[in-house]
Formats: sequence, structure tokens, C-alpha cells
Amino acid sequence: MALFVTGLSHKNAPVELRERLAVEEDKLRELLRDVAATGLVQEALILSTCNRVEVYGVAEAPGEARAVAFRHLCQHRGVSLGLVEPLLYTHLDQDAVRHAFRVAASLDSMMIGEPQILGQVKDAFALAQACETVGPHLHTLFAQAFAVAKKVRTETEIARHAVSVSFAAVELAKKIFTGLGGKAVLLVGAGKMSELAARHLVEQGAFPIYVTNRTWARAQELARALSGTAVPFDELETALAGVDIVVTSTGATEPVITREAVQRVTQGRRARPLFFIDIAVPRDVEGGVDTLDGVYRYDIDDLKQVVDANIRERLREAQRAEGLVEREIGKFVARQSDVEVIPTIVSLRERLEEIRTGEVRKTLARLPEASPETRQAIDALSTAIVNKILHTPITKLRESSRAGAHRSWLELVHELFGLGRK
Amino acid sequence: MHATLLNLAILGYIAATGLSLAYLVQREEWIHRVASVATIAGWLLHTVALLARGIESGRPPLGSLPEAVSVAVWVVVLLALWVERQYRVKVLGAFVLPIVLVFSLKSTTTRALDLPGIEPALSGAWLWVHIGLVLLGIAAFVLNFAGALMYLLQERQLRAKRPGTLYYRLPALETLDRLTYRTLALGFPFLTTGLILGVLWAGPAWGSVFAFDPLALLSFVAWLIYAGTLAGRAAVGWHGRRAAYFAIVGFAALVLTLGAGLFLPGKHGS
Repeated sequence: MALFVTGLSHKNAPVELRERLAVEEDKLRELLRDVAATGLVQEALILSTCNRVEVYGVAEAPGEARAVAFRHLCQHRGVSLGLVEPLLYTHLDQDAVRHAFRVAASLDSMMIGEPQILGQVKDAFALAQACETVGPHLHTLFAQAFAVAKKVRTETEIARHAVSVSFAAVELAKKIFTGLGGKAVLLVGAGKMSELAARHLVEQGAFPIYVTNRTWARAQELARALSGTAVPFDELETALAGVDIVVTSTGATEPVITREAVQRVTQGRRARPLFFIDIAVPRDVEGGVDTLDGVYRYDIDDLKQVVDANIRERLREAQRAEGLVEREIGKFVARQSDVEVIPTIVSLRERLEEIRTGEVRKTLARLPEASPETRQAIDALSTAIVNKILHTPITKLRESSRAGAHRSWLELVHELFGLGRK
Repeated sequence: MHATLLNLAILGYIAATGLSLAYLVQREEWIHRVASVATIAGWLLHTVALLARGIESGRPPLGSLPEAVSVAVWVVVLLALWVERQYRVKVLGAFVLPIVLVFSLKSTTTRALDLPGIEPALSGAWLWVHIGLVLLGIAAFVLNFAGALMYLLQERQLRAKRPGTLYYRLPALETLDRLTYRTLALGFPFLTTGLILGVLWAGPAWGSVFAFDPLALLSFVAWLIYAGTLAGRAAVGWHGRRAAYFAIVGFAALVLTLGAGLFLPGKHGS
């Protein structure tokens, strides 16, 4: 009996093929039942996202099971199996465990650390459970995969740093201001990207929001959408004086915010920093403003640079996450083989205990005049002998299971002590 | 007894310093946890060492400058532990503990000179109050310095627009600016009162306070710098970079002051 995963992903299969193979939920139920009905797999789970299609399962002959699973899938989607077959990867046992852990922890994702995949795996698991194709093996595997994914998220920073320009801007703001709660934001221009950045800022508690635009109607419209206040464009400088974060995205060819204007404004601001997020090209905020004390300006290139650094940071963290996953695989495999060894240990103990009590009873029957002390001593003696004898075999069995060589040991023990078939 | 405990405490501080610096570059949470444990263990041993010293000599363990520095270190560590939790600055140890280490090593190597006789003219409760207040002030200024240093590093990162390891590790500029302001506002009254008491008490006893004592002279310079910074912050609205530079200059003066006390002959020295 082997655990296996087989499938294809963004790593080796082109998007045209992946989208043709992607299965929607009700079709997935049908497919799961069909695969289970073949009797070739004991347990099955299908994960289908836009980046991967994978079948996880337990089977006596994983090779056949894999062929069956994808034959059904290709039939369902009207894709020729010959097209898919050469792209399929298959992992068995420990490698399948590793794959499941890495996928759930978003280490196998196109953008490492992206949070959606864990939800998708959980959905696939729930669906397979509903179809009753999940048994004890997949159950323990995925329960552990979810725990590992959570651990990776909390103990490493693979998902912490922003990989989009608008989120990177919000993170920068949080490195300037202690918190964004109650920080006033001014939107200059009404581009889509600045609206997105503003929404992120609002989510972090930024308030109030002011919007200014050369077209008054557009300013009003966006202000309504963000529950903010529209400000006439010629009052820009006045508005600047009262805000902490400025997001600019006008189509102007000349800077709309000059260094002199900012200098005038900062004189009355004292310790309040002023952060310009300039998403416009050409830029809206004059280059020299960030030489002023307490003024910070990031243009679109700067933000992209931060995003690049964040991605590098994620990759570095992914290295640590891989190590964590490896340790978890070790623990998981050890626990699994412990689970396989324990029934044998229990029956071994039971067998010897049976012999011991039987022999003690016989002996005591022949000694009717023995004092209670003597009876107790005989009982204790026999128990001690049994425990001494069992100690080494049990230790060896446990050790062998950790080394992964327990199957032959188990057979031997069953043979030697006549424990019956396992 | 006291010496052994103190050495153990310093061992704890050495471990904590190494771990805190490692945590700055290596993002493993366990390093931070072990560093915290080492710091707290060091501090507890230090506490017992100071108590033992006090009982041994029958007076507060502030009789000589090295002893006083040891007490200042004790206060700094306590304050740092509190600030770390209050401001959630997990990397604080990397900036404070090296200073702690230098001073505590210095204070033990000089300790060998043993109990100096305190001039009878100077003994009395006021002396202890003078020393105690100045020490509290110094402790706050160590954190003031650490805050300013972190502020300048984070500011550089933000201005360079190329985030490095420190960018991810250090807290927001506003947080650091508030930390330097608060520690300045905390330390200054202690230092001022402490120095005034020193002048009032030592003046009549020594004839002229500043004439022969480099420490007294330098401490006045440090006080002037801090007074200027505080005035600038409170009245003119100085903040950020400028305030941070002043915090660093002020601390340099303070270190010189203590250095003068520890290395140059004078009435404060031992």
C-alpha cells in the first residue's frame, strides 16, 4: 500500500493545457466517484486550481492508479491522454508527503507565499471528505499538511512582505508611521492604481481621505467611493498642510507638487512626517522634495525596487521554510511508522502476559500452603522476567521503525512469537 | 561571593549581546527568545550581586564610580527590557547590550581597587541621592542613544529606497522618534536634579566644583547638549534626524564624562 500524488502544475505544464484540465466542483465529485469506483485506489483527493491539477491517493499499485485517474480526467475534459501523460509527475510515500506539505505551505506556488493555495487545498479536502474518498491515510496527511502550512506562515516571513506595488506602498507607510489609524490621506488625481492604494490605506485605518482632481466631478465621484471629501484642485497646497500621506497619479506632464510648495507646507508641521506615493508617470512630485527633513517620496520605480527586495526576502524565507518542512516530514514519517509498529508491540506484550499468568496460576495451584508473601513474590518475579525479556525487542522495533526498516522486523516478530498474521 | 555573582551576570550579558547581534541578521525567533532569557538571567544575577555587595559593605553599592556604573548598567537593562515590550522593538538588545557589556566589563576590572574611602565631608544621604539620580538619568540616555541610532539607520534605509535587512527589522520612524523623545524627557530631570545636588553639596566641600574634577566639567557639557535638544524639541519642534544627531552627540559627551571618571584622576575617580 503506497501513498502517491500524481499531476501537473505551472512548473511543467503550459497554461493552455492547465485551463483545459481544470475541473469545476460538481464535475469533481463525479470524477472522484468514478476513480474510487475502479477499486484501484483506496483513498483519493483531487486538487484542481488554475496552477495545478493533482490526484492524491492511496493504492496497492500507484502506477495503475495514476493511469486510471488521469484517463478519467482526460475523458471528462475531452483532452487526449497522450498530451498529458508525458507531463505528469508522480511522487510516492515520503516524496508524496513532501509534495503535499510544500503545496499547502505555498512553497510550490508560482508566487511563493501566496495565501490562496491553502484555502484551495482545504476545499479539495472537504470535497473529497463529502464524497467519502478520504480514509485514514489522507486524513492524517492533510491534517498535518494544514498544520505545517500554518507553522510556515507564522514562523517564517514568506507571506509577510508585499509583492504588489500598492501593498508595498502601504508597508512603507507603516515603516514611517507607527500605525496608519487616523492618518490623513490626500489623493491627487483619480487613477485606478491610486484608488487601490487608497483602499489599502483605508483598510489599515487611515482617515480622513481627501480627493482632489482637475475634473471636479471625478474628484467628487472618487471621494464618494472612498467615503472621503473632495477638495478643489487649486486648494491643493492647503490640503497638503493637513495630511500625512499623499498619493499622486495625475496625467500632468509637469510636477503638480513642487519642492517650494512642500517646503512652505512642512514649516508648520513640526514633527509630522509627510509621505508621498507618486504613482504617476511622468512624476507628479518634484524630485528634490525628499531632501527636506521628514519628507519621503517614493515613485513607481522606487516602489518596484521595494517589491523586488520583498520578493528576494520571500525567497530567502522560503529556504528556511523548506528546512522546516523537511523536519516536519521526518516527524510525520516517524509517527506513521510508530503507528505501524505499535499493534505488534501490544500483541507481543499480550502474548507474553498470557503465558506468564497461565504459568503462575499452574505453579500456585501446586503450592496450596504458600503464604500470600510467597504468592506475591512469584508474581513479581515472573513479571520482572517478562519485562526484562521484552525490553530489548521493543526498543529495537521502535528504532527500526524510525530507520524505516520495520516491515521485515515486524514479520520476523510475528513469525517468532506466533502472533498471527498482521 | 559578590564578585562571582557579578562575573556570572556578565557572562549572561555576553551571551545576550552575541545572540541579539545574531538575531539582527538571522531571523530565527528562538534566537530572540534565548537572548531574552540570557538578559533576564544576567539581570537577576546582577540584582543579587548588587544586594550582596550592599550587605557586605553596609551601604548602597554606589561608593565608587565603578560601582555606580554597575548600578547604572543594572537600571539600563531593566529599562531596556521594559522598552522592548512597550514599543515592540525586538532588535533593541542589539543596540543596548553592547553598551551594557562595555560598561559592565569596565566596572568589574576597575573594581579590584576595592572600597575607596569616601571623604567624610561628602558622606550622607545627599551623596546617595546625587549618585542615584545621575544614574537614572544616564540609564535613560543610553536608551535615548539606542533609539536615535535606530532612527538614523531606519531613516537611511527609507531614503536609500533599497530595503536591506535592517529595514525589515527596525520599527517605524515615528515609533523611534517617540522613543528618543520620551527617554530624553525622562532622563533630563533626573540628570538635572542629580547635578544640582552634586554642585550644592560638593561646592562647599571641594572649594570649587569644576576646578579639579574633569568628570564634573564634562558632565556639565553633556547636560548643556541635552538641555539644548530638549528645548529644541519642546519649543521649536525639532524632531527626527536633527533630534537624533543631538542625542548621539549628547551621549558621546556622557561617555567621555564617564570615561574621564574611570580613567583620569579626579575627585570622582577611585
